[in-house]
Amino acid sequence: MTIDRHLVLRTYAQAAHTAYDTLTSLDQLSGDGDFGDNLREGLDLVVSALAARPAEPPFAVAAEVFLDEVGGTSGPLLGLLFQEIAGALAAGDDRAAWAAGVREGLAAIQRVGEAEPGDRTMVDALVPARDALEAGEDLRDVALAALAGARATAALRARRGRASYVGERAVGFADPGALGVALLFWSLARAQDRSPGELADFLGDPHEPASREETPAQQI
Amino acid sequence: MNSLFLPEQHPVEQALRGLALAHPGLLHLTEDPLYVTARDRHPGRRVGIVSGGGSGHEPLHTGFVGRGMLDAAVPGRIFASPHNRQVYEASRAVAGRDGVLHVVKNYTGDRINFGIAAERLRADGIPVRRVLVDDDLATESTETATGRRGTGATVIVEKLLGGAADSGLGLDELAGLGAEFAAASRSLAVAARAQTSPSRGGEAFALPDGTLEYGVGIHGERAAATLEHPGFDQLVDRMTEQVLDALPTTTGSVLLLVNGLGATTLLELYAVHARVAELLDKRGVNVAGRLVGTLVPALDMSGFSLTLTALREDWAAFWHAPARTLALPALESIR
Repeated sequence: MTIDRHLVLRTYAQAAHTAYDTLTSLDQLSGDGDFGDNLREGLDLVVSALAARPAEPPFAVAAEVFLDEVGGTSGPLLGLLFQEIAGALAAGDDRAAWAAGVREGLAAIQRVGEAEPGDRTMVDALVPARDALEAGEDLRDVALAALAGARATAALRARRGRASYVGERAVGFADPGALGVALLFWSLARAQDRSPGELADFLGDPHEPASREETPAQQI
Repeated sequence: MNSLFLPEQHPVEQALRGLALAHPGLLHLTEDPLYVTARDRHPGRRVGIVSGGGSGHEPLHTGFVGRGMLDAAVPGRIFASPHNRQVYEASRAVAGRDGVLHVVKNYTGDRINFGIAAERLRADGIPVRRVLVDDDLATESTETATGRRGTGATVIVEKLLGGAADSGLGLDELAGLGAEFAAASRSLAVAARAQTSPSRGGEAFALPDGTLEYGVGIHGERAAATLEHPGFDQLVDRMTEQVLDALPTTTGSVLLLVNGLGATTLLELYAVHARVAELLDKRGVNVAGRLVGTLVPALDMSGFSLTLTALREDWAAFWHAPARTLALPALESIR
């Protein structure tokens, strides 16, 4: 199975544009409101860098851009994920390499951010994505697992990250970092024609809190 | 009117250019990304030591770059963590054959940015370990996960680690020792006037006349308590006893730092030192090494801090090992 890494990253950039309003609204609730900008601008820079340096490993290029150029804390943490994916893909291009890259990237993010599952961070989308990849599930189900993990953060109170400062106020809305990283897995599926659906259908209205009892699928 | 004499654009970069111009034989400045490296290094050192953090605490950390202490310092903007790329590039520049040791004061931003740099170094195959300095007993709390802040003990930890590194120890040994140095250190700070806010001008917070912020942080973090000034002797005694009692072990000797927070004069710091020394003597505590000076200030705050490190006998050689830096006072070997 060969996955077109350039296509994954270009799709991710498009997804960041589609989800920009949602990411920004969510981050205004729980952070300083710049996550949508950081992700969109960072991925746009990646697309430009890939066009200029087509022969280089795409995820290594993305790692460099996010680690060196993207602001905030979430940007460089995503850079670590790209760095580990690049390292794993250098050894192979199959599902095992993707699983290894996501596993190592998640481990690096947890070492640096000291976040555990349930802390309402990007870790909450990465853990189900890693588990689905390691179980050899279809990429469509990997994407759904990541999106479900992001959606489930709406019921959590933050203990790490900037959202920990606002506590209960952000409950009912998904963590923007978790949604941002879930978009990578949606893009991975999309690039393999395994898309679970149109992204806009998953984003919903960011101004309406999800129910804390039962979160509807379209409400992220 | 802002009483700080700083240019509006890039004050930290400009100050570092001035620093490097003043000490070209000691320091080398890299501007993109911004970091300072030592010109000279002990040939027996196997591990590069890198520290850094927000600016506004000068001479920390650039003043302790040089043979016997740090191999590189990474300054952030005033009171802000450096970017991970600065830490990464500085670490690559000074890595020894056994890798790099990061000395990090316990603040969330510094932990994350040094942590990201560490992951990049590992991906490059450069071994890296971290020593976390968390000495400020004013932030001792069982209620938060963030732990104590890192303050004055940073200088002591950096000196001891420099001496240990020059004795030829490897990365894991240094990381283990550094954690012990930090664990053996406690500090407490008091302020009579806040620092000037670099953005707004004027005092960062107001203190009523005759009161003291007892347990203040080096970024002007407010203390749990604002006290009536109890008088010089009572204040110094209370602080000394509180720090001494907070040390995990109090047998044997200590290292002492009497540190100015920016606007406090040496006349005052030496007077404080005399009182601290008298009390320690009465308590039967041997002071094996002492530093008096403005080494870890909070811009121009008026105040001082006391730091004690419970010294193990086998650490004394690290303390007295030669060092040539801009800001470390001469070490006296009174035992």
